[in-house]
Amino acid sequence: MSIMTSRVAETLGEVATDGALRAARGLSGLVGEEIRIDVPQIRVGTNIDACDAVGGPDVIVFGAYIGITGDITGHVMLLFPQERAMECIDLMCGQPVGTSTEPDDFAASAIGELANIVGSAFVNALADRAGLILHPSPPTVLNDMAIALVESVYAAILAQGGEVVMIDTVFSDEKGTTSGLLIVAPDAEAFARIAELAA
Amino acid sequence: MTTVPATARRISVGIGQIAVSNNAAEVLVAYGLGSCVGVSAYDPVAHVGGLAHILLPESNGSAAATREPAWHAAAGVTNLLRDLTALGANPRRLVVKLAGGAAVLGEANAAKFRIGERNVEVITELLKQRNIRPCATALGGVKGRTIELHLASGKTLVRTAASPATEL
Repeated sequence: MSIMTSRVAETLGEVATDGALRAARGLSGLVGEEIRIDVPQIRVGTNIDACDAVGGPDVIVFGAYIGITGDITGHVMLLFPQERAMECIDLMCGQPVGTSTEPDDFAASAIGELANIVGSAFVNALADRAGLILHPSPPTVLNDMAIALVESVYAAILAQGGEVVMIDTVFSDEKGTTSGLLIVAPDAEAFARIAELAA
Repeated sequence: MTTVPATARRISVGIGQIAVSNNAAEVLVAYGLGSCVGVSAYDPVAHVGGLAHILLPESNGSAAATREPAWHAAAGVTNLLRDLTALGANPRRLVVKLAGGAAVLGEANAAKFRIGERNVEVITELLKQRNIRPCATALGGVKGRTIELHLASGKTLVRTAASPATEL
């Protein structure tokens, strides 16, 4: 029996939409031009689903991880396959999508900063919606095998059932569009609090 | 770099799974070990090898922990040795190598859960109780690893996102 009902998914979708608006404001301010962030799809699945969603187990991804502590605990991770990450850097640098091709240290840190903005915005939106005090951890910049990252989050949440929420996150400006995957893994108590909100 | 025969069949060993083989045309692979630990064991006389992809240091009491052969360390080590023995391996001859147990979400975050670190501690202790000492390891750190056991040669290779496969 899944602890993730469609109502809970719907509530998380609303939180994600609010988070995306906040993140877009922050990001647009940072890069000095209008960037939109949309969250067209939210779904629930296992660690394997999450890996497949970013391109398969042997894929190397860029992104950042933020741990949540406070009234509830959980995990937030924004991942981009390399090609999408490069497109995202183009958006952030105000250059046509397809300009950046080299996944260097600059790329890793830029994507880490982006993922931090989006992940923190989601955590703050969740805190406001649920009336909780949540503390996002300092972000860990990620550039690693997708499955190693997803599996490690999975191991940490397993005692609580092991489902993760996957939120497609689409970034766009007038020059182009790209997308990443926001993975949210709340613990059981967090799911219960969100379920109360959804009821 | 070891050359893999073009005909080699790669068997993916998923989270919580075990694979054993005596088929020289097979390569057992555990992709992207983060906090998980891959236990590779090979009997060079019987030419039998196995790979366990262990997720957790202790059973969390879930259905999966009961159902899956290597969900937690005790089951993983016990079942790997049982399956290898069933295929003709002698536990006393096993060449055991470990990889994984990293803190891929960052050291500070890993300190909260210590899953990778505890996986390594528990697995090492379980092997010690069976008089098995790993002869090579690639453990800890902050990067994910892929481990593969080549049945043709008994060689174990490890690679990360940033570095090519090297023999362990």
